[in-house]
Amino acid sequence: MKLAFVVQRYGADIAGGSEGHCRELAERLAPRHDLIVLTTCAKDYVTWENELPAGRSVEHGVTVLRFPVARQRRMKLFADLSDEVFDSGAPRERQEEWFRENGPDTPALLEHLRAHGREFDLVVFWTYRYFQSYFGLPLVADRAVLVPTAEEDAAINLDVLPDFFDKPAGYLFLTPEEQELVSSRAYRPLHPAVVAGIGLERVPIGGTPRAPLDALNIPPKYLLYLGRVDRNKGCDALVENFQEYAATRPDVTLVLAGPAKMQIPAHRQIRALGYVTDAVREALLAHAQALVVPSWYESLSIVLLEAWNSAVPALVNGRCKVLAGQVTRANGGLYYMFPAEFDEAADYLLNRPNERAALGRQGLAYVEREYRWPTVLSRVEGLFEDVRRVRTRSAPRAQTVRS
Amino acid sequence: MTLRDVDVDVDAVMADLHGRVRERLRAQLVEGGEHAFDDPSLFADVEAVLHAAASTPDAARLILPELLGDPHLWRLTTSLRYASHRGPAAAGLFMFVKRRVLMPLFRWLYEYSRDNFDRQRRTNHVLFACVQALALETALLRREVRRLAARPPATGLAQDSDAPPPSTPRG
Repeated sequence: MKLAFVVQRYGADIAGGSEGHCRELAERLAPRHDLIVLTTCAKDYVTWENELPAGRSVEHGVTVLRFPVARQRRMKLFADLSDEVFDSGAPRERQEEWFRENGPDTPALLEHLRAHGREFDLVVFWTYRYFQSYFGLPLVADRAVLVPTAEEDAAINLDVLPDFFDKPAGYLFLTPEEQELVSSRAYRPLHPAVVAGIGLERVPIGGTPRAPLDALNIPPKYLLYLGRVDRNKGCDALVENFQEYAATRPDVTLVLAGPAKMQIPAHRQIRALGYVTDAVREALLAHAQALVVPSWYESLSIVLLEAWNSAVPALVNGRCKVLAGQVTRANGGLYYMFPAEFDEAADYLLNRPNERAALGRQGLAYVEREYRWPTVLSRVEGLFEDVRRVRTRSAPRAQTVRS
Repeated sequence: MTLRDVDVDVDAVMADLHGRVRERLRAQLVEGGEHAFDDPSLFADVEAVLHAAASTPDAARLILPELLGDPHLWRLTTSLRYASHRGPAAAGLFMFVKRRVLMPLFRWLYEYSRDNFDRQRRTNHVLFACVQALALETALLRREVRRLAARPPATGLAQDSDAPPPSTPRG
């Protein structure tokens, strides 16, 4: 099949859920299809500054075509516009302006889609909220597959979205909750569609050395948060909950591993490690009593799947439907809605080794069932075939009507 | 220590956990003087109604906001819109000063207030949802009371509301 993947940023050193999802799929599908990635020269998702050279390159066996971003994001203007359109009642033009300001504003990429989009069997777009998807997808709607990576945040309620979500020829969702959310914002049933998620490679269970943790003086009884330490990820509430919790449990530590984007209070039971090496990351995951995911908004938590891949149970924010759904389907952890539930659930995971091990084991079994690459790829390619079949079936009919 | 192989059902654990948290809250309320909650099932009913209302998604439509009328008259507006009542030339200057001089100086205060307004907006939404849930409960109870009041008065044990009517065959 001749495929184009359209994504806001691309590269092995680009952190980001949807970008990583796109790259992992591209690297596995490129040997089996004629595939090209259409992306921007940006590396930073806040400024969209052009940092990578424009033009064609081949990266890990994938052909990549990069287009320059016309202008960087105007942060204050974007913040004010966000407030205005999320207040509801903003006219459609202002909402569309929000997608333009959100960027990355890449007119050359749109021009390329306009000129060459119909040469592809399918054009797959990542993330509904960015410029290249919102303005690019309608140009090739009859062969477009959308990977919305939608979360229950304010943007999903924009009035312009039902029209947009009706346009693609197919949909690739990360979880059933995401499918339900996007379907609730569309005017028609969204078919063909598949819930595919992402694949994980097996990791050895039980053999990871603890030495990197000893070097950092990490005690054995710890809850782990892995990722950007940010208010937007629910870390402020987590730190607050944990301080209350730790006041009567002096033997428990919270380890925060990831770059800090907020003030972390000095507390003898909270260890903020900042960026960590791969070896430390692996050791932290392998030896954690549980992984904590406090985020309100997720379309798929890859770190949650990674914890289960290491047979570690999870403690997640139950107000995020995706997280609570994942944990319940996997039987791989507990969830909390408010501090009293956080305390009870953390006590359960920290003080019951048999049950903790069982939840981790059940999480791993869930990953084996749902998230190994052969399973994920067969779902994705099945969807691509369905979309192409529907399009080729309807194309001659359309021609007949025209003639 | 050797770990035993056990199976854990998350739904069962969560039900148990919710039960313990609810029971602790009930005990605290009773201790604080709310003696109606001596009855655990009454507390469970109240908690269920409020819990469902408090879980209403932010985007859900509610009756009360519609009845309040024009949102501009009551809704918290968290976005800042620059405007000036002066003539075009002066307005441009004043807008420039507001945007480029005053706003950068006071941005921290604006963001602090915006966060608080956001919390208040969320709280208002939850309260609207709670009022709606209680209004619904009241309406259903009124309907039930009217239905019961319209029934002919009971004349004997056979017409007890829980007993089947006399013609109902008994298996």
